[in-house]
Amino acid sequence: MTSRFIRAVAALAVPISVAATPVYAADKQDLNRILGEIQALKKAYENRIATLENKIKSLEQKKAVTGKKATPASAGKSIKDNSFNPSLGIVLNGRASTYSENSSEIAGFGIGEEGERGREGLAIDESEINFSANVDDKFYASSTVAIVREEGEDKVELEEAYLQTLPDAGLPDGLRIKAGRAFWTLGYLNEHHAHADDFADRPLPYRAFLNKAFNDDGVEISYVVPADLFIEFGGGVFRGDDFPAGDSVSGLGAWSAYGRIGGDIGDNQSWRLGAYTLHTDVNGRSTNEGNVNFIGKSNLYAADLRYTWAPTGNAKNSELILQAEYFNRNEEGTYSDSEASTGNVNFDDSSQGWYAQAVYKFAPSWRIGARYSQLLAADTPAGLTGSALDSAGHDPYTMSVMGDWTNSEFGRIRVQYNREELSDGREDNQFILQYIMSIGAHSAHAF
Amino acid sequence: MFRKLCIVPAILAGWALPTPAIADLRVFACEPEWAALAKEIGGDKVSAYSATHEKQDAHHVRARPSLIAKVRRADMVFCSGAGLEVGWLPLLMQRGARANVRPGKPGHFMAAQHVAVREIPAVVDRSLGDVHPEGNPHVHLDPRNLIVLARELTKRLSAIDSENKPTYVQNFSNFERRWSANIEGWNAKAAGLKNMPVVVHHKSWSYLIGWLGLNEVGSLEAKPGIPPTVSHLRNLLKTASAAKAKAILRTPFDQSDPSNWLAGKTNIQALVLPFTVSRNAKPGALKNLFDDILLQLEKANRHP
Repeated sequence: MTSRFIRAVAALAVPISVAATPVYAADKQDLNRILGEIQALKKAYENRIATLENKIKSLEQKKAVTGKKATPASAGKSIKDNSFNPSLGIVLNGRASTYSENSSEIAGFGIGEEGERGREGLAIDESEINFSANVDDKFYASSTVAIVREEGEDKVELEEAYLQTLPDAGLPDGLRIKAGRAFWTLGYLNEHHAHADDFADRPLPYRAFLNKAFNDDGVEISYVVPADLFIEFGGGVFRGDDFPAGDSVSGLGAWSAYGRIGGDIGDNQSWRLGAYTLHTDVNGRSTNEGNVNFIGKSNLYAADLRYTWAPTGNAKNSELILQAEYFNRNEEGTYSDSEASTGNVNFDDSSQGWYAQAVYKFAPSWRIGARYSQLLAADTPAGLTGSALDSAGHDPYTMSVMGDWTNSEFGRIRVQYNREELSDGREDNQFILQYIMSIGAHSAHAF
Repeated sequence: MFRKLCIVPAILAGWALPTPAIADLRVFACEPEWAALAKEIGGDKVSAYSATHEKQDAHHVRARPSLIAKVRRADMVFCSGAGLEVGWLPLLMQRGARANVRPGKPGHFMAAQHVAVREIPAVVDRSLGDVHPEGNPHVHLDPRNLIVLARELTKRLSAIDSENKPTYVQNFSNFERRWSANIEGWNAKAAGLKNMPVVVHHKSWSYLIGWLGLNEVGSLEAKPGIPPTVSHLRNLLKTASAAKAKAILRTPFDQSDPSNWLAGKTNIQALVLPFTVSRNAKPGALKNLFDDILLQLEKANRHP
């Protein structure tokens, strides 16, 4: 700033000195003398400016070097989690899809709105806005709002709004309590936001059994055992409003429990294995656009396995990820399908679903992946024959292959091909082109 | 339902009760050099575990389950800081850390908070690449920093485990004596390296370059963390040749193609310098690290 000021003064000074010289006496000699004077003046000012500029520069450099040392040893700040309070992150997500089959009903299952196939053509997916920060030394809070298109309207969905205890909260070491609304611990994908998925859509068991994800209101406690092996277990109680529960009367209609272990094999391989259960009282769960209704008890048992191998230890350059989940759902109650006018039909049976996938990063920006997912429907009770819950002996499946390009950890573009047969004889060939971009703060993803 | 839920706390109590016998002080080091330093000062009183190994880029590590288990039992978390581990350490801390290793406690030791940090950027924007707002975190390659850090480490170990304070103080004074002599030896040896023009792959070597007074004439990455581009390499070819660069420095985990390309087009030698010690380093490994680096630099400098 100082140098700019001096420059301005110099610029003013030059014409003034010209004007002050008596022009009428200007024979050639005089003029040359005046010009020489002006040149000398200019030079002198330029030198002074340069000296000052150098002085400022060296001062600034000195400040940059010494500045850090003066700051006290405080909590490590970082652009990813603490520079903004709260940190704000936005994930934008859009796609173009083509389907060869009109119907996307999954025969034999009551499918919730979010478990349905995405919209055909050009469409944006959930746009997520996340705010998160440490509340104080004892609590961390995070809230994610998703704007979604449903039934021709943009709707705001509160995906997550939870607080979580920090290690300073005074609980025994390793114990953590999370309360509010969150993607609860259940299988592998449920805890993760869809933008972190390796495929453009969730596998069939997530669509059929969890309506994409279980994020009821509730509280969860978990404990990490102090041992060489990673051992964690926990459980929660929930309101009982979110799929697979529904229409909670008591406000305390679901509970869960889980345990998982994990570790390394050598330097560059890791694994985790988990078992989960979710029990819900269903006072009314409406699916298939309101046609199918279930009342009763729904018990879900799940297992997941994830294995990663980075040949050089640097997952950024190349990595193989194998992942599989298995679900078993046992339901006891009554189903009805108003479209097929079945009335309430007693139901007591189990259905299963699973998927397995492999994703391989062969270059720092490029990955390919394949996935197979399948549902095994329950036997159709006599009263439900011909309804949406009649699988006609068909087990729905999807085969998927995908390839994606990741320019930075904040931007990804993906192509995916699915071959789905969700009801007998209805083969659906799907092409999906998808982008996922994240701006602002973006917290690290768990294993 | 609630009766079933009561089982959970019962199990928890069962796990929490049997307290293990007093064991070593456990140091969770983010990088191998800190594990090695912890062993120098802690001797047989500490056991140090390094989350990463010498061929791994500590910028990008998964918050894998095994690391949560390690942090869970740590008495000290010893890392570079300055944003190097921002992609994974906060997650481990949130999930596994005990209160005694939280920020602000002696058990939370970030090296970059105790030495002069280089390259603190004036502007931070993601279009500029993977810029660390806190400056360059690779502080361990200036051996003078290790004395400062060893002194701070001694203070902290003594605070956490006052019973063994005499051991830590003794170990530090031994280390300080040996290390000062080492630095003198290296300084003498490296006098000829002053102003040696070098090209770097990533800003991994700034502290080494600052200490030895090398002249960094270019970087293969146009922007930190963004892979080198063809157009940038072409320009670099000109500047590096004009500056008569002697060596291209890269770590074992940087891509080899860009430096090999540049070396192939010029007379500049592509060097893979060890960036740190091995994960289960024996005492003395830190000295060998600097010996190795200097040896390779001297060789490249003598090359016509």
